[in-house]
Amino acid sequence: MNATFTLLEMRRITRDWAGMFFTAVLPAFFYLIFGATVDAKDATIGNGNVAMYVMISMAAYGAVTATTSIGGNAAVERQQGWGRQLGLTPLADSSYIAMKALIAMTVAAVPILLTFALGAATGARGSAQAWVLSAVLCLVGSAVFAVYGLLVGTAFRSEAAVGAASGTMVIFAFLGNVFIPLSGALLAFAKFTPLYGYAALARYPLTEGYLPDGSQDPLWVPIVNVLAWLAIFGTAAVLLVRRGRERQ
Amino acid sequence: MTTTPRPVDGASGAPAIELRSLVKSFPSRRGSQDAEVRAVDGIDLRIEPGEVVAFLGPNGAGKTTTLDMVLGLTEPTSGTAEVFGRRPREAVVGGHVSAVLQTGGLLRDLTVRETVRMIASTYAVHSPVDEVIDRAGLRSLADRRVSKCSGGEQQRLRFALALLPDPRLLVLDEPTAGMDVTARRDFWDTMHADASAGRTVVFATHYLEEADAFADRIVLIAGGRIVADGTTAEIRSQASGRTVSATLPPGSVAESVARLRTVGGVHQVEERGNRVVVTAGDSDTVARLLLLELGGTDLEIVTAGLEQAFMTLTGDGRDARDARDAPDARDARDARDATTPDEELVR
Repeated sequence: MNATFTLLEMRRITRDWAGMFFTAVLPAFFYLIFGATVDAKDATIGNGNVAMYVMISMAAYGAVTATTSIGGNAAVERQQGWGRQLGLTPLADSSYIAMKALIAMTVAAVPILLTFALGAATGARGSAQAWVLSAVLCLVGSAVFAVYGLLVGTAFRSEAAVGAASGTMVIFAFLGNVFIPLSGALLAFAKFTPLYGYAALARYPLTEGYLPDGSQDPLWVPIVNVLAWLAIFGTAAVLLVRRGRERQ
Repeated sequence: MTTTPRPVDGASGAPAIELRSLVKSFPSRRGSQDAEVRAVDGIDLRIEPGEVVAFLGPNGAGKTTTLDMVLGLTEPTSGTAEVFGRRPREAVVGGHVSAVLQTGGLLRDLTVRETVRMIASTYAVHSPVDEVIDRAGLRSLADRRVSKCSGGEQQRLRFALALLPDPRLLVLDEPTAGMDVTARRDFWDTMHADASAGRTVVFATHYLEEADAFADRIVLIAGGRIVADGTTAEIRSQASGRTVSATLPPGSVAESVARLRTVGGVHQVEERGNRVVVTAGDSDTVARLLLLELGGTDLEIVTAGLEQAFMTLTGDGRDARDARDAPDARDARDARDATTPDEELVR
């Protein structure tokens, strides 16, 4: 691990104020609006309350916004010639990937910590186990969307496309039962969308599968969703990267 | 110069670059008749330590692809490339070879110094960051964002990055492409100052003047093959003849042109208003005729430049132009280093 390289990469990310706002501040703000200040915030769900439910959802949203953009920008940078520049150095591809993964996880941790801290201060309640496990699941699961970013970055080769991919997280969040509780046909559909499994899994230590509409998901539903989307993003990214290589 | 070339270790006596039957082909694009495009079509070349060599050729000749294989950025389809007797990637990891690539490929949100620090951090041993910044003439720009640097300044930054491992072989791929005249001169001044270190330098260019001014040896590449290889003087002597031009009295031009065409050893006569441009083996005879009999004034005699040699050696002018414009020959290169987002979307 190369500390200088990693820290300089981190500095680049913190320089991007707009990106940091959408990643770190917006989810926290959303939590305050949709979680901490709503009437139902103290209503019970699983082993905690609705405020905690919203807190985990927003933290998850912030984390995927970060990993999508970091994964996507890594792909774009490499294709715009930085990959060739690095190819002239002793840096191995595996070290590069390890560093980018560490950075993505570090940045994804920012909205999680911020939102969880706000939650703790504003009445989010859940078991101690739920607090710890949810935070870990938010962080680990967000890696799936680094692959999604990588896919979009490889396919479209522009920073604008990566920005758009990050933006689509808002849509996926609505469709995936993250921002507002869905029910009926919409909820049935939501279970097939990319953010549903990840967010449901992150909330599972709190909800034990219970949904705001009173129904309950067995654990395999979010797990299958996450694995399926990981397989889809992963396969598509591998195919695209391979296609790019053959052209070299 | 504060550094000395690193001692020759292990593979002492090995050439700086040795290419044997090097071939690189790319799958052709959809809709093309050919099954593949041969960007590099059998190159054998040996470059000794300390030489300064220009790869000269039109766009799409295979220069960049060849250098990519020397740098281990691309694997050959067949044949071998060795740098100081090692595989290219080993030579890169050992810091024996470095390169200044064409435009693109810097992170715009870093400063100049941060970029140098970042690349420096990938080497176990490297020249001090401030030293390479000074040598590339970047001291006053060290804290400027890359996005705010001009093309020439960015190229000097790439040069600084290439100096970090203090390489024995420095490869420059069209280092001045897209620079204005002043920036180009500055860049080569910086390079000249550094050449005294006894480094082997190989650079690709399609500017004849650059090859002429900076290289001891020119390797002329066209259509993925070496078409000539020698000192600048040798290449030039392979071109035949000189160009004689003069202004003729108004009204007599057509008649004079007809007369000049009958003279032995005249290859070509061109009319440009009142001026004629004659390419001929025996320039003295033509000059005498123009001045004494045809009433010519403002006479100029120019030795055929490298340009002429280039045309002669890459086939006649027409073939050379065709080769240059052949879409497939260009594609091979474009596919790798110049893909625009738009292009990608339509694929």
